[in-house]
Amino acid sequence: MSPTTSMSGQLAGRNPANESAPVRIAVKDLNFYYGQFHGLKNVNLNFHDRQVTALIGPSGCGKSTLLRTFNRIYSLYPEQRAEGQILLDGQNVLDPKVDLNELRARVGMVFQKPTPFPMSIYDNVAFGLRLYERLPKSELDGRVEDALRKAALWDEVKDKMKQSGTGLSGGQQQRLCIARSVAQRPEVILFDEPTSALDPISTGRIEELIEQLRTEFTIVIVTHNMQQAARISQFTAFMYLGELIEFAPTTKIFMNPDKRQTQDYITGRFG
Amino acid sequence: MTALTQSIVLAREARPVRKGPSKGLDRAFRAASLGSALLVLLVLAGILGSIVYGGWPAFREFGFGFVTSSAWNIGTEQYGALVAVIGTLASAFLALLIGVPISLGIAIYLTQLCPGWARKPVSMTIELLASVPSIIYGMWGLFIFAPLFARFVQTPVSNVFEGLPIVGSLLYARVPSGVGILTAGIILAIMIVPFVASITRDMLDQIPTVLRESAYGIGCTTWEVVRHVLVPQASVSIIGAIMLGLGRALGETMAVTFVIGNANRLSASIFDPGSTIASRIANEFNEADGMQLNALMALGCLLFVITFIVLIIARLLTRRAKLA
Repeated sequence: MSPTTSMSGQLAGRNPANESAPVRIAVKDLNFYYGQFHGLKNVNLNFHDRQVTALIGPSGCGKSTLLRTFNRIYSLYPEQRAEGQILLDGQNVLDPKVDLNELRARVGMVFQKPTPFPMSIYDNVAFGLRLYERLPKSELDGRVEDALRKAALWDEVKDKMKQSGTGLSGGQQQRLCIARSVAQRPEVILFDEPTSALDPISTGRIEELIEQLRTEFTIVIVTHNMQQAARISQFTAFMYLGELIEFAPTTKIFMNPDKRQTQDYITGRFG
Repeated sequence: MTALTQSIVLAREARPVRKGPSKGLDRAFRAASLGSALLVLLVLAGILGSIVYGGWPAFREFGFGFVTSSAWNIGTEQYGALVAVIGTLASAFLALLIGVPISLGIAIYLTQLCPGWARKPVSMTIELLASVPSIIYGMWGLFIFAPLFARFVQTPVSNVFEGLPIVGSLLYARVPSGVGILTAGIILAIMIVPFVASITRDMLDQIPTVLRESAYGIGCTTWEVVRHVLVPQASVSIIGAIMLGLGRALGETMAVTFVIGNANRLSASIFDPGSTIASRIANEFNEADGMQLNALMALGCLLFVITFIVLIIARLLTRRAKLA
């Protein structure tokens, strides 16, 4: 009998993991330090193209830390450093020569809380585009609309594009942030607990959205919510105390994990 | 009765009676706090009333001409506020022009770029600057800054721009003495920088980390993050801080009296001496009587009105920014 009968319902009807999809991000011997504290220990992991990979584990296990290495957002803080390799399409993003601004356009990020910028809805989406491309107005309009459609927000905001982005509801704001990322046409989108500040209905919409975005983008999502990981991901990585304990297709992690610790965590015995 | 309801009844009976302060004390407390609030209104009304009363003879004598006339002649008893009003506005405007960019620079450096170990000392220095008494700024401005300013700025700049249109009259010192409207503006800028900088720093600090990270996260440079996200996010508070600085610059008396030159002369040049409302009052109050005293009181009224207008503009600006 599976230890996780409650999960099997969530898993039903999901798209199966495509293990032969090409590797988009390859993490090799990654170590991460917060000053003296060793936050990630020898992590080795592959992220597959146009698949959703969930990072799960108890608080402080390093899942957010791992996510924050992919766009090197950690480098805002001088006491944090990473060692090892993270190959994005074969290029090591930890190489000091990498252009951070360009990297962050290729690897988008959505945060725990919605972070609309203090500008209009239109400008929130167009802002990221204007940083990189000089587009004529009509083309810019098209890209903004396209991004808002992909973020399932267009119908709700098309008549109030000039209004402030901060006036939207929490769920709408989060979809606006997703649109802002999508507009830059990244290769990878990182989600750091994107629904932790949202109500269940908004959470459901974001989950559906991630499912749709998967057809175009490689997605990595950190989540505290195991049901969410089971619902939306093809692959799951379980982390504990800075180490990667187990990585496998989500079905396997939830139905038949190899490691005792993984099984204890997903059945709620600790965490 | 069942045992259960019985025990509930018992529990209710056993609840202790609250021995709080009596109703009378509470009423007294409310009255006292209302009284404190009313006292502020009373004091304000009293000050305003007595100044208007004192200045009334001057307003009656000169009418609206008191505001538009540049005369200030004690011998002929002709008084007009124009020179002082323009001096007040010009020196305060120059103070903002110089002080605000520096303040924003300090606040942005401290919150975004400064390494952790340097933050504390730099912040403390700025707060120390705010605690320097204004008389010190005045003395330093007159005895140390003004001579240097005359020698290294006023004289060479006047020589270069002499005879040129606009700049030739705006930046020309007939007698490079070092004191004047611009000197007052510079000293005032130094005085308002600590206030504007520390309020702006606190406001930038309150912006959630995730907002800053998400701006960097779409590939912004530090300049773009600051210019398009952080400063607009804090704009309401920054305008408030600037208006606080402006209020201080308009009313500052001691330091300005030292360095503005105290001349009652309208000049196009910001190198030339002038006076502000506050400096005029400080200079003449001691010996004034009769109509001169009434005129000084009337000047005080005008300063009140100007600061009040600034306050209203600040309110309107912050409300507009909130709506946007």
